[in-house]
Amino acid sequence: MERQVQLRVEARGNDELGRLLAAVARGEQGALRDLYRRTSAKLYGICLRVLADEGEAQDVLQEVFTTAWTKADLFDPAKASAMTWLSVLARNRAIDRLRARRPPGAPLDEANDVISGDLSQFEILERAEDASRLRDCLDELDERARAMIRSAFFDGASYPELASREKVPLPTMKSWIRRGLLRLRGCLER
Amino acid sequence: MTDERENDREALAAEHALQMLRGDELRQASALAGSDRGFAREVARWRGRLAPLFAEVEAVDPPDAMWARIEQATAGSGNGANVVTLRRSRALWRGVAAGMTALAAAFGLVLLERPPVPQQPVAIQRPAAPPLVAMLGDTDKNMKVVASWDPASRRLVLAVAGDMPADPSHAHELWVIPQGGKPRSLGTMATGKQMHMRLAEALAQLLQQGATIAISVEPPGGSPTGAPTGPVVASGSLGQA
Repeated sequence: MERQVQLRVEARGNDELGRLLAAVARGEQGALRDLYRRTSAKLYGICLRVLADEGEAQDVLQEVFTTAWTKADLFDPAKASAMTWLSVLARNRAIDRLRARRPPGAPLDEANDVISGDLSQFEILERAEDASRLRDCLDELDERARAMIRSAFFDGASYPELASREKVPLPTMKSWIRRGLLRLRGCLER
Repeated sequence: MTDERENDREALAAEHALQMLRGDELRQASALAGSDRGFAREVARWRGRLAPLFAEVEAVDPPDAMWARIEQATAGSGNGANVVTLRRSRALWRGVAAGMTALAAAFGLVLLERPPVPQQPVAIQRPAAPPLVAMLGDTDKNMKVVASWDPASRRLVLAVAGDMPADPSHAHELWVIPQGGKPRSLGTMATGKQMHMRLAEALAQLLQQGATIAISVEPPGGSPTGAPTGPVVASGSLGQA
């Protein structure tokens, strides 16, 4: 077990993208360009999936790379792959952007539901076995919970949006998803 | 009862990782993530657990002009000289901001940008250079933060006086202002009582006796312009201890 963990850490340490990200942390702009070439299509796909708007997705993509430029030192190759780190950054920033959209007539403070500048947002703990297990464990959930969790992940749907989309009261939606998430965790940690 | 509370916390961590929360719940989860290591780790675990889903997202080539935009946005921002290697000590800061923000509002201090001085060839730092200390205070000379700088190890240690509540809507950014120079970012401050940073060589050269260390209030993630945009909540100059 100990050895397995060690091997994984080494495998990630050798990760080409991880090396690029480390070079970006040192301020090498050439590395940022290489990183952009190798990851921008996937990251743009993530932004587009959440925002469904090319202009906004491009703004967020720019933000993802400028953030990587200044915050790459927070990337820890022992905890997650570089691609995961960048993907989470892209998704989070895209959802921040989504939340900042103000429906016409909505009060201003409702537009402020964006994630904080808290550095813990850059922290990801990933395990090699996550990928193989997630599909199986999602399949174990009932279809409704699975669909809602996927929608929250891919489209950035919030509770009120999901509740009104499914025409159920907010507490009902919460209990569906919470139960689903806890079951998911139970399965993943089994 | 305990189980139920644990489940609530676990579900909150998952919801926070998914960014499903809004309003008060979001503020609560953000504050918890900033102050409670166990909770922050659980949120980080959830980000990892769900990450395999990214494999399902189709890659789409961004327009050709996109790289030029990014290059332009990053070229001006100190080309990495202001990238700070944060020594993320396990003891994370327990909140900075609201108190400082209030101070900022009370004193309304603004950091003025000074004209740059011509770049001089930089001397190699002697290993024997003495450690320097700056007491960062507000305008009433109330001491807020003590910054100790060890040139030999290029390590900057910040210790916060008093307890400051977390404020997820702002970041506190640390600056060095060389005598006659303009402010250079040392990075945003994590939350907690103590913070260690190991500075890049180019930045380390700026921390000389007489240079000013200052903290400004900025949008989350730090100043978008590379120069201070918000009020200064504490400042002091570097001198020998």
